Amino acid sequence: MNDRKDGLHLIEAAFSQYGYPPDFLADYDQLECLSGRRGRETFLVRARADGALAVAKCYDRAVLDLDPAAPAPAEGLDHPGLPRFRGKYHSDRYLCVVRDYVEGTALSDRVRETAMTQEEIVAVCCKLCDVLSYLHSRPQPVIHRDIKPENVILTPAGGVCLIDFDIARTFKPEAEADTLFFGTKGYAPPEQYGFAQTDARTDIYSLGVLLRYLLTGSVRENKNIRLYRPLEKIIARCTAFAPEKRYPNAGAVKKALLAANPRSQLLRKGGLVLGIAALCAVVMLAGWKVYQAATYSPFHSDAIPAVLNDEERVADAVAYMKDKYGTDLFDSPDDLATVGLLRRTLIEVYGLDRDYVYAFQPDGLPQESGDYFMPWGWEDSQNARRDTVVYAAVKVHDPAIVADWSSLKDDTGEYPGSRVAVEFAQETGILTGANRPYDITAGELALIFANADRVFASAETE
Amino acid sequence: MADQSNLTTEELLRLLFMESSLDHLMSRSADSVQLPAFSDYITALCRQRGEPPERVINRTNLERSYGHQLFSGRRSPSRDTVLQLAFGFGMDYEAAQELLKIARKSLLHPRVKRDMVLVFCLHHHYSIIDCQIALEQYGLPLLGEGNRNE
Repeated sequence: MNDRKDGLHLIEAAFSQYGYPPDFLADYDQLECLSGRRGRETFLVRARADGALAVAKCYDRAVLDLDPAAPAPAEGLDHPGLPRFRGKYHSDRYLCVVRDYVEGTALSDRVRETAMTQEEIVAVCCKLCDVLSYLHSRPQPVIHRDIKPENVILTPAGGVCLIDFDIARTFKPEAEADTLFFGTKGYAPPEQYGFAQTDARTDIYSLGVLLRYLLTGSVRENKNIRLYRPLEKIIARCTAFAPEKRYPNAGAVKKALLAANPRSQLLRKGGLVLGIAALCAVVMLAGWKVYQAATYSPFHSDAIPAVLNDEERVADAVAYMKDKYGTDLFDSPDDLATVGLLRRTLIEVYGLDRDYVYAFQPDGLPQESGDYFMPWGWEDSQNARRDTVVYAAVKVHDPAIVADWSSLKDDTGEYPGSRVAVEFAQETGILTGANRPYDITAGELALIFANADRVFASAETE
Repeated sequence: MADQSNLTTEELLRLLFMESSLDHLMSRSADSVQLPAFSDYITALCRQRGEPPERVINRTNLERSYGHQLFSGRRSPSRDTVLQLAFGFGMDYEAAQELLKIARKSLLHPRVKRDMVLVFCLHHHYSIIDCQIALEQYGLPLLGEGNRNE
C-alpha cells in the first residue's frame, strides 16, 4: 500500500512542476483536457467556489511569447452570443484565461443529427452576424479567426454562441501581415496564410465557408450542387479572394441573408404581387370596358367549387348530378367508368338518341360528324378514357367547339376533336380536381359532366 | 475477409498491402473506420468475458437501472460514467482509453491531475470505492461529480 501512496505522491510532485498558476489551481479543478495542442491547452474546469463549469485556455509562455500584462483575447467582451470572461491567471510558465462553459449542441454535431432547413441555417448565420458585428465594432476590433461549426454552440434557449477565443486577436492597424498562422484549414481565408493582415473581413470569409458547408455539406465549392441563387451569391461575395470584394462588415452580410431568406423572398414576392394587383385594379377600373372587350370569355370556372379536396369534389359532383337529373348512374363512384356508362349518361341524362350515340364511323380517320356522337367504334365494356369523357361532356353542350379542330394538322392516332375538348376543358376549369389522365372512375366521369354543366350554365347567364 | 465490419488493425494493414486500388479499399473498409456504438461495444465486452452486465454494473457504483439503460443504448454516458464503467470492467489504462474513444469522450490526459490519479487507480486495479477515497484525499472531484450536463 505504501508503494501506491508513493505513486500518488509522485503524481502530486510531477503536477506541481508543470507550473500552472497556483491561484488558478486554487480556484478551479481541472476535469478534462478538451484539446492539447502545443503551447495551448484547453481544459474543462469546475469552479471550487460555486461548482460552475468553465473552460480554461492555458498558453505556454515559452512557446507563444505572450505578454501577461496585455489584455487576454476578448477579455472585456459582454454579449449573450459569447462565453462570459471569468478570469485570467498567470505564472512564470503559463497564462490561463477562464471563460464560462457554454451548454448546448455544437453546430458540427447538430448538422449530423438531422438535416437543417435553409431557414434554420439562415437564422443561425444571422445570429452569428450579430455576434461578429459586436466583436468587430469594439474600439479595438476583435477578430475571431476560427469560425467553424465546432465553435458555434446552439444553446437550449435557441441562441447561438461563438466559442473558442483561442486565437482571437485585436486588430492593430499598423501591423502589415500576420506572422503566426492560426485557424482551421478550409475555413481560413487566403490572407490568414500570410497574404495580408487579417481584419474583420477574415471572419466574413469564414462565415461564407460555414454557410456553404451548412447548405452543401462541403467547405469547398461543388458545381454539382445547385444552391438557392441568392444564398449562392452571398457565399461567393463572402469568400472572394480579395478582402475588398467581400462584404464590408457582418451587418451587411446579415442584411443580405435576411433579404435572401426564402421566407422573406416569399413575403417580398407576395408584396410585389399585391402591388401589381393593386395597380392592375386601378388600370382595370379605368379601362374596364376596354379590358372586358379584349379579354372577354363566356366561360369562367367560378361556378366550379374549387376549395375542396378530390374526394369532396367527386362527392359534390355525384350529388349535383343526382339533384339535377335524378340519376343513380354514379352511385358507385369508385368503379372504373366504362364506355357503356358514358353512353348511358348521354342517353339517360342528356336525352340523346340511342342510335346517334351508338353509331360510329366505320373506316378512315375518325372525324366529327352529325351522324355519330362518338366516331370511335368502341365496345360498351371498354374502359372510358378521361379525354373521351371530356370530349363527350363538351360536345353535349356545344358540338361546334369539338368540330373546330381544323387547325390541328397531324395525327398521332388521337382524334383531334378530343384534344380540342381537353384544351378547352383546361382553359375553362372543367378539369379542375380529381382527374387521372387515362382511365377514370364513375365519380370522375360525373365530375367532368357536372363541371361542364356549371361552366356552360354560367356562360349562359352572363 | 468475410466480415468487413470487425477488422482489426492487423487485418486492415494486410488489406492495405494487398489492395491495388485505393478507391476499392476505401469502399471495402469504410465500415471498419466507423466506431461501434457504445452500448454494442460494452455488451460485446460482457459476452466476450462471459459476465452478465449486472455484475459489471454492481462494480461501477452506478444506479442499477441507469446501468442497464447504458447497456441497452437507451441512455448515453457522460465521461465520468464511462470511467466508472472502466472500473466496473476492471480495465487497465489502455482499455479505458479505448472505451473513452468509443464513447467519443476526451481521453485521460497527463496534464490533468484528476486523470492521472484515475490512471494510477486503474493501473493498480483499485476498486471504485478505493479510487474515490484517493480522489477525496487529494481534494479532487469524485467520479460522478465531474459531469457536464449531457
